[in-house]
Amino acid sequence: MAIGAGIVGSVLGLGGGIIIVPALTILFGVSMRTAVAASTVSIIATSTGAAVAFLRDRLTNTRVAMWLEMGTSAGALSGALIAGYLHQRFLYIMFGLLLAYSGYNMFRTRKAELPGEVVPDRLSRKLNLAGSYYDRMLGRRVEYQVTRTLPGLVLMYFSGAAAGLLGIGAGIFKVPAMDQVMRMPFKASTATSNFMIGVTAASGAVVYFARGDVKPLVAGPVVLGVLLGAVVGARLMVRLKTSTIRKLFIPLIVYTAIEMIYRGVKG
Amino acid sequence: MTTETHHETPSPHEPIELVLARLLRIGSIIAAILLALGIGAMLLGGHAVVGPRLITAGLLALLATPIMRVMVAGVIFAREKDWRFAFFCLVVLCSIVAGILLGHEHGG
Repeated sequence: MAIGAGIVGSVLGLGGGIIIVPALTILFGVSMRTAVAASTVSIIATSTGAAVAFLRDRLTNTRVAMWLEMGTSAGALSGALIAGYLHQRFLYIMFGLLLAYSGYNMFRTRKAELPGEVVPDRLSRKLNLAGSYYDRMLGRRVEYQVTRTLPGLVLMYFSGAAAGLLGIGAGIFKVPAMDQVMRMPFKASTATSNFMIGVTAASGAVVYFARGDVKPLVAGPVVLGVLLGAVVGARLMVRLKTSTIRKLFIPLIVYTAIEMIYRGVKG
Repeated sequence: MTTETHHETPSPHEPIELVLARLLRIGSIIAAILLALGIGAMLLGGHAVVGPRLITAGLLALLATPIMRVMVAGVIFAREKDWRFAFFCLVVLCSIVAGILLGHEHGG
């Protein structure tokens, strides 16, 4: 189970929490707090295990990652600060609708292998965010530009806030923000998202450790499995077609959107 | 395999991606070894304390890796006199530290 979560998580640029939390609570009868804590640590495992391969293949855009991490970490911080004051139901519905919308956009562009011609904005040029990577599937080097640099940062702030407020990895928000808004190639988006989620999750995991929610007996085996899965998944991802990865991503984004809206409506 | 043939022209320093890849690999190997030893110790029985402690050490090693990654990236950017990006790393580090301090307060 944990290895599977690691593979899926690393291929899609998510943490795999979507799989681990329900599996631990429903199948193994672990309490929600313990499951979320184990899942948060395993997000770090996915990110770290997979990032090694993505960095070597130059799929990760480290400059974009550092720029956007300012947004996610500030968002996570303010999310944790205001968590007590905001209505969870309203948040679930809002984030659910946002996801549904990006799922719809992704469905429209599902056949596109690469984003095509992108004109970089001024900030992107100034920060030197353009990148390139060798796509093994296409058998050639892909050069790309990055645009809407500032809106991307703002979106990352909200994805960080979602992570802090709802206790999720929020990779599912990061990938559409890079792919749909900043117009990065899908593979570079998932690899960069994967690279970034480790930092968001690490700041959350510290809190769970301090509270004693990280149970070694539960988290240990799960995390080791995820770590192995992530290493396998990263090697798999570079050999997959973008359209294949999208086909996996779209149902997951739709499922998460429905799940969030349902939780919000149900209360 | 054509893994090493498509790298960019060499820069004065080793590219940041390779340095960070090495760092993350060392972190995950240390974590994996500690976790495997801990789980092994628990399966074999023996001391009831040793297994969970080894696992906790492994989880902490894993937790420290992404934070180290931001620090090292900051150092690399500063060494290349890319002050803007070194500053971005500092902002990220500060908010992580603020989060840790706040978390302790709330977690108690």
